Amino acid sequence: MAVQDRVAYRNVGQGIERLDGDEKVRGLAQYADDIPVPDAWYGEVVRSPVAHGRLIRLHFDPAFDFNRVCVVTPPDIPGQNIVDLMGRDMPFIADGEIQYRGEPLALVAAPTRALAREAAAHIKPEIENLPALLTLREVISRYLDGAKDLKELAAQTIVKGDIEQGFAAADRIIEGEYWAGHQEQLYIEPQGMVAIPEPDGGVFIQGSLQCPYYIAPELMITLDLPLEKIRVKQTAVGGAFGGKEEFPTLIAGYCALLALKCGKPVKIIYDRHQDILFTTKRHPVWTRQRTGVKNDGTITAMQVDFVLDGGAYTTLSPVVMYRGILHTTLGYRCPHVSVNGKVYRTNTFPNGAFRGFGAPQAIWGLESHMDEVAAALGMSPEAFRLKNALHLGDTTATGQVIAEPMGTPDVLENNLARSRFAALLRGNSHGIARDGKYHGVGLAFFGHGSGFTGDGESRLKSKAALDLEYLEDGRAGVNIRISSTEMGQGTMTIMPQIAADGLRIAIDQVRMPFPDTKYAPDSGPTVASRTAMVVGGTVFGAAEKLRKALETFAATALFGGEEVELDDNRFTGKLSGTTRGFQEVASAYLKQHGPLRVYNQFKLPETLRWNQKTFEGDSYPSYSWGCNIAEVEIDALTLELTVKKVTACFDIGRLINPVLAMGQVEGGLVQALGYAVMEKIDIKDGLYDASRMQTYVVPTVRDIPVFDIAFIEYPYGHAAPGAKGVGEMPMDGLAPAIANAVKAALGVRINDLPITPEKILKALSAHQPAGASA
Amino acid sequence: MTTPMEQLDVAFPASLPEALALMANEATRGLPLAGGTDLMVQWESGARPVPVRAIDVKNLCELHVLRGENGMVVIGAGITHAALRRSELIRTAIPALAEAAATVGGGQIQAMGTIAGSIANASPAGDLAPTLLASEARVVVASVRGERELPLASFILGYRRIDLAPDELIVRFLVPARREGERELFRKLGPRAAQAISKIMGSYRGSVRDGVVASFAVALGSVAPTAIRLPEVERAVIGQPLNEATIARAEQVAAASVKPISDIRSTAEYRQWVSGRLVRGFLEHLAGRDAT
Repeated sequence: MAVQDRVAYRNVGQGIERLDGDEKVRGLAQYADDIPVPDAWYGEVVRSPVAHGRLIRLHFDPAFDFNRVCVVTPPDIPGQNIVDLMGRDMPFIADGEIQYRGEPLALVAAPTRALAREAAAHIKPEIENLPALLTLREVISRYLDGAKDLKELAAQTIVKGDIEQGFAAADRIIEGEYWAGHQEQLYIEPQGMVAIPEPDGGVFIQGSLQCPYYIAPELMITLDLPLEKIRVKQTAVGGAFGGKEEFPTLIAGYCALLALKCGKPVKIIYDRHQDILFTTKRHPVWTRQRTGVKNDGTITAMQVDFVLDGGAYTTLSPVVMYRGILHTTLGYRCPHVSVNGKVYRTNTFPNGAFRGFGAPQAIWGLESHMDEVAAALGMSPEAFRLKNALHLGDTTATGQVIAEPMGTPDVLENNLARSRFAALLRGNSHGIARDGKYHGVGLAFFGHGSGFTGDGESRLKSKAALDLEYLEDGRAGVNIRISSTEMGQGTMTIMPQIAADGLRIAIDQVRMPFPDTKYAPDSGPTVASRTAMVVGGTVFGAAEKLRKALETFAATALFGGEEVELDDNRFTGKLSGTTRGFQEVASAYLKQHGPLRVYNQFKLPETLRWNQKTFEGDSYPSYSWGCNIAEVEIDALTLELTVKKVTACFDIGRLINPVLAMGQVEGGLVQALGYAVMEKIDIKDGLYDASRMQTYVVPTVRDIPVFDIAFIEYPYGHAAPGAKGVGEMPMDGLAPAIANAVKAALGVRINDLPITPEKILKALSAHQPAGASA
Repeated sequence: MTTPMEQLDVAFPASLPEALALMANEATRGLPLAGGTDLMVQWESGARPVPVRAIDVKNLCELHVLRGENGMVVIGAGITHAALRRSELIRTAIPALAEAAATVGGGQIQAMGTIAGSIANASPAGDLAPTLLASEARVVVASVRGERELPLASFILGYRRIDLAPDELIVRFLVPARREGERELFRKLGPRAAQAISKIMGSYRGSVRDGVVASFAVALGSVAPTAIRLPEVERAVIGQPLNEATIARAEQVAAASVKPISDIRSTAEYRQWVSGRLVRGFLEHLAGRDAT
């Protein structure tokens, strides 16, 4: 089935202005802390001062009058004391064993924030300390020693062919190890949530979140309420990057538990310090890549160990690891593959979703390693990749056939040509500084699975609804009812573009209100770069259904039975040529029948096959592709690293809004730049050492390189308009491109993110024991 | 229990004598508050308790002098980083100070933060101290008892410690202007290109006559509990021909003369090595080999 290119897109493909832009620029948008909640109490969390221990008891200081506040401890939880994420191993409030520093021991609410804090300070835990495992370094040293004393949170393998046979066929076997630490999402708006008790015993939750239909069902077992009594509505969100995927369930749960006990609305808004200390981070990774190659550059075997630091509980870590291992070999033709993925527990805050979801960690290792393999063979980085890149008809590690035309290897070829990569590489300093600077250029090529892994999108059964009803301006129009959220990426703009084109009406009659589980069906979470592709496709289908329903109505009610077509905002009788405007027909429908709702559900192609146990088959419905080329300069005096220019090419399917897509790419590349060269967290006394914006350093506008960005459009063929997802792509490849550029400039490889002058100095000292010379 | 910031009692004296009178009396004395850009961060993080009283000295016109006299630049305590950065006098007479001020925080911090606040905070990462040390600045403090003038090097006692009596206020700095033939440079290394707290920074002032180093003063920040001068380096280069041998030796001496620590911003190894590299860069600049 081909994309319905006969559709003349009027809005899709246009860089229209953000529909939510005006109210955000004017300061009118209401974020979680702006929602007026009369009589709200403020919630606080009493946290564990130790990383691992056994809670003996809580002492309530008699000097403080606890009658003035509301306290929730495990016996107050109406349902089960479980956060309903994977593994179901995380309690809402620790009861017995404590697994990380900062784990909740009690919740407190009071009429003022100061009183809530005062009360919390008067609850003193008595804890028996236990030894804590805090870092991935320690995990890996035990892992290499036979995984003794490690708690495995998840494991998965991918097997293709026979890895021993693959190595036997190789002339050379090259091995490399790659590390990366935590990364903080650092959205502008910290986490915030309000829970209001409802008269029917239910609860209404509003806040800064990505996935309304994660929170509502996940809180059912804890609150002991049926789904319909837990209403979740998204407020304006000031950035999320995955940080508001699964974490908001915790803070929503704290608010809801307190609100249901004290009978008052309860609000929790984290400040920046709390937000960095006690919310999820990107998983630290250690990956070991072993690759067998023939002397002519043909890859014969790829063996990978991929280990993530899960933090204290399972949460979403298995899925992050699954996506990770699926990207550890992606992009290259190889007959024999063996990938071993693991997640182990450490006594730190559970790591979680972050833009890329395991793929950036995997691609960091893979693309650093591909350069090392090329170098070992004496091949240029681009020649080695061009020789092995997947083409139409090739198969991936899971046996998926690249069955529709897509951007591999086109993005690679395009980017090599645009950046004049080969010439730049020849001009690199290779350890010799000119003009006081070392110069280097580096390359990364990568794919990113679109949507949920395997047949996940089938299991999600994502739905979209369109309501034909009167809009707030009194005209007839269409409200898009989906649970996909706007968090800065443009959902509230692209969905009206897509719906307007499916309906073939003017976009000013289409609205996307904030998702609210009371009105919107479950269209799945706003994650995995799936919104434009999956939900966009579902909305487009719903819009076509609504258009047909209106054409049918118009034909009988207003056109005397002749066949009618809606296009360009008007209905035209096919025989008579008579036309009636959309407003006239829609108003007539509403007067006669009242509001009309149409539903549509996403469908994967029936040919898709996936085995979730063996990880064989079609691991994603489609793939986006990208290539990043980084040009770097290193100061010979100080070894300060500057990324001067990034040339990038992406195939993200059909561009719904090119301006927003460009914004996603530029913003994502800046976030990737931070991951690559400056964002750094170590564990000190069981907590993150960088816990304020003073110490957690992200790029500013002065660090942003020159961007040269291009798109190649290979639309997804099974859901018009054919987007494949852009959100995560720009996070994937910049770090290895920079590491490869540093190698080209200095002759040393940094295999541990971030790439700082301190690490470069250390590598140079090891490389040439006399130390670096100018 | 510390005082919440909203309960802080702030006095707004109209003149310096009025401020000094408040400071003289234990019952009315308060923490001198100018831009508050360091204090508020420390109060918020709990690194420093919120005091009961503060004396707002930001708008005292006596602290806003900025003038040149007899080869000396007089900089009032209340002069902001933004004013230092923009002042034509500073840019000509002490260009390294204008450069240093331009690297403090972002625009908002520069508009509020003052030279006296930066020095009084006595952080080893304070961006102004190395340049002021390398230019042999003096500080003037006042109380109802009178004025006292001392070298900045003796005013900074240690990590976050200064030689200021409870009743005294910093009123101005006296900084020798660059003389004919003197060159100077400030250089800061941070984790990013702007709005960065330094990993290390430094400043020098020096001159060359007939190919020989005639004068050379160099100071570094973030390599010791306070910003420090490097006398061994200065001794090693003054009177020597300004050639590669001298520069290489100075680089070695500099690296050997500092004992920095590892912290969240950098490592001891890097700071030690790059101390030498900064000194090399300064001497190359003095030799006119550096475009900057």
